[in-house]
Amino acid sequence: MLIQPFSPAHAGLVRDESRTVGYADSVSFPRSHEQVTQIVRSLYQDGIPFTVQGARTGLTAAAVPFGGHILNVTRMNRILGLNRLGENGFSVSVQPGVPLCELRKALSARRFDHASWSKASLGALSAFMHSREQFFPPDPTETTATLGGMVSCNASGARSYRYGATRPYVLAVRAVLPDGRSLSLRRGECFADGYTLTLPLENGSRLTVQIPQYIMPKTKNTAGYFAAPDMDAVDLLVGSDGTLCVFTELELQLLPLPACIQGVTCLFETEIQAAAFVQAVREQVEGVVSLEYFDEGALAVLRDQRADHPAFASLPPLDEWIGAALYVELHGDDEAFVTDRLNEIGDLLSACGGDPAHTWVARTQTDLDRLMFFRHAVPESVNLLIDRRKQAEPGITKLGSDMAVPDEHLDHILTYYRQTTQALGLHTATWGHIGNNHLHVNVLPRNLEEYTKGKALFNEWAHKVTALNGAVSAEHGVGKLKAGFLTAMYSPESLAQMRAVKAAFDPKLLLGRGNLFAEKEESR
Amino acid sequence: MKFAVCVKQVPGTTEVQLDPVTHTIIRDGRKGVTNPFDAAAVELAVTLKEQVGGSVTAISMGIPAAESMLRDCIARGADEGVLLTDRQFAGADTLATSYTLSKGIEKMGGADCILCGRMAVDGDTAQIGPELAERLGLPHVTDVIAVLSVEENALVLRKTTADGTIDLRVALPCVITVLREVAQVRLPSIEGIRRSFAAPVHVWSAADIGTDPARTGLNGSPTQVMRTFVPEKTKITKMFSGTPEEQATALCTALKEVL
Ligand SMILES: Cc1cc2nc3c(=O)[nH]c(=O)nc-3n(C[C@H](O)[C@H](O)[C@H](O)COP(=O)(O)OP(=O)(O)OC[C@H]3O[C@@H](n4cnc5c(N)ncnc54)[C@H](O)[C@@H]3O)c2cc1C
Repeated sequence: MLIQPFSPAHAGLVRDESRTVGYADSVSFPRSHEQVTQIVRSLYQDGIPFTVQGARTGLTAAAVPFGGHILNVTRMNRILGLNRLGENGFSVSVQPGVPLCELRKALSARRFDHASWSKASLGALSAFMHSREQFFPPDPTETTATLGGMVSCNASGARSYRYGATRPYVLAVRAVLPDGRSLSLRRGECFADGYTLTLPLENGSRLTVQIPQYIMPKTKNTAGYFAAPDMDAVDLLVGSDGTLCVFTELELQLLPLPACIQGVTCLFETEIQAAAFVQAVREQVEGVVSLEYFDEGALAVLRDQRADHPAFASLPPLDEWIGAALYVELHGDDEAFVTDRLNEIGDLLSACGGDPAHTWVARTQTDLDRLMFFRHAVPESVNLLIDRRKQAEPGITKLGSDMAVPDEHLDHILTYYRQTTQALGLHTATWGHIGNNHLHVNVLPRNLEEYTKGKALFNEWAHKVTALNGAVSAEHGVGKLKAGFLTAMYSPESLAQMRAVKAAFDPKLLLGRGNLFAEKEESR
Repeated sequence: MKFAVCVKQVPGTTEVQLDPVTHTIIRDGRKGVTNPFDAAAVELAVTLKEQVGGSVTAISMGIPAAESMLRDCIARGADEGVLLTDRQFAGADTLATSYTLSKGIEKMGGADCILCGRMAVDGDTAQIGPELAERLGLPHVTDVIAVLSVEENALVLRKTTADGTIDLRVALPCVITVLREVAQVRLPSIEGIRRSFAAPVHVWSAADIGTDPARTGLNGSPTQVMRTFVPEKTKITKMFSGTPEEQATALCTALKEVL
């Protein structure tokens, strides 16, 4: 039996990293497209709602079920093969449950379990072994995330400043629709005609969908379905937040790893200096792939963590005067190019009130790993802090924002976040993708009152960011927790158009209930 | 105080990759890096220099490309580099290497404190430091994990032993070898990197340091390497998925099989 009753042994499956806790009646752990089909058909027949789960690292409760069935794809974790793209390019075919870290490990060690690979795949593997090292560019901080989860949320990361989010790397998908039919799509083969998209299904039937007519913000964006006239069908499924289909196979584009990768963390006294530096780097320095920010609050949490926990003792020392830090990563095909860029950064630092002496440069893998550890230590330390506060006040949790605005509003939004949180006396730690004006402002409530204030403030921000032509969710998706923000960003007509897409794929509204659309709207 | 630190460039990875079809070994083009024990030795020397004043010279016997490693040491606080490079030096074992290094250090005019990493991660002999001390006629202390104080004519050190640690005082000049925990290696700054491009790296040949050709390189190396091979991998990694209980059960079953 593929479908098992929910038992206490499955307790972990009703939560994700947002720490929202749900409930479920049954679970399954399929291993193949065929098994997913079988499960979904039976659920469809019985009218049982179901939620797809990857690694449950999501931050929006998108994978948290509130009743029904849990379809957990973590056992669909095989790398299915490599493919050649043109002369020198490669793509990798995977099942959706492969964690990002496992794909990375296999690519960099060039080691695969290829026992069941096709002849063509083995041929591609042979070419791959002799080619330049390849990498999969999307780099969310949490590398235990599954590739299916990343595609569902259109995840992005630090390097998205240069390489973009997950979407453009999805070359082909195979999926099971909520009624059990199968769909295979390859990028470049199926386009909408204006706003009408007709999808050919594997059984020869067709599915016609009306694409919403809203204009998406030009910033990073994962709020709502991707929609544009004449769009590629693949783009609609990417970022659909677990509401349109179950991915069962993905083909992902790889890129040759640049020969030279260097990173530098620049230390500043003030946020104003850091923001000026960001503008200057954006305008003047080539080869920048990430621009990541850590504010005073984030550095303070890290400083305490370093002092209190031996696990963090290897972090570089953070002197008291440091009020802001920026990480810049540079990619280039030769070392001379990157060294020149590093020098330019040194000059810009001097011009913006920084100091080339107050930088940490990583030119080796060991040093890059140390700066990476520094970045990871920030959210980790904040979570530990919140866990401690939760012991005194179980009702609170961390509130993390995920909004982005266009370039010209960076200074404005930094000041706005600062002023509105200070006015309420909230404790905050801010970090994230400042190159894309996309910051995670984290409110760290000390009590229930601050928690409530913070939640209300985030709603205000959703309106503010929308007014600035930004996105209320830039990379984590909407899921259940941010469904309310969508009503700030989209008109009722636009939301109705989104619901129409959902209904075309899922007439019984079984899949991913509560995601994107608040539950009360969806249950008839 | 004048510090000299012996550094070696080692491969960036020890992973070996095989072509699945032809089964031939594939060399990956990854750059060499500073032996991590030596990087800790440089950090210690720079820290001591910052405390008591003086200079730090990083010295290496290697191929011309090792110059970039020496510049990296300068970026992290050393003052200058010395690269001993010559065809004659190729194929050296520890005896020939320590001889060559000792001649280089002599040409530098010696040093008050000579630091080495405990061992190179690609050779694992841990012989260079003690051999170098013998050649220079200096006292040495191996496996140092801390410098407790610097005195007028001596260092007070803590070293690890088979049973724990021991603190001792060693007269200067001396040779010490260090473990990685002796210092947390700093990241270079942009300013440091700029300095490293301007700073001197002296490149010395066999003729420059006056080595005896019979005692360097392959000629001077009694060690014979019979064969090198990749040890067979016997470690198998298994990933368990499912609920915590399922994973625990699977783990117990797997453990039972091996115990
Ligand atoms: C410390 C930390 C840091 C993070 N940093 C980042 C970051 O930098 N950038 C970023 O984008 N995100 C980040 N995240 C969020 C999270 O890692 C991503 O959203 C990730 O893409 C989720 O993957 P998952 O496998 O855990 O998916 P889950 O949480 O299991 O599911 C997420 C959504 O995907 C759907 N889904 C999963 N698999 C499938 C499938 N096969 N078919 C259809 N739908 C599916 C689910 O139904 C759900 O809607 C972070 C999370 C943490 C805890």
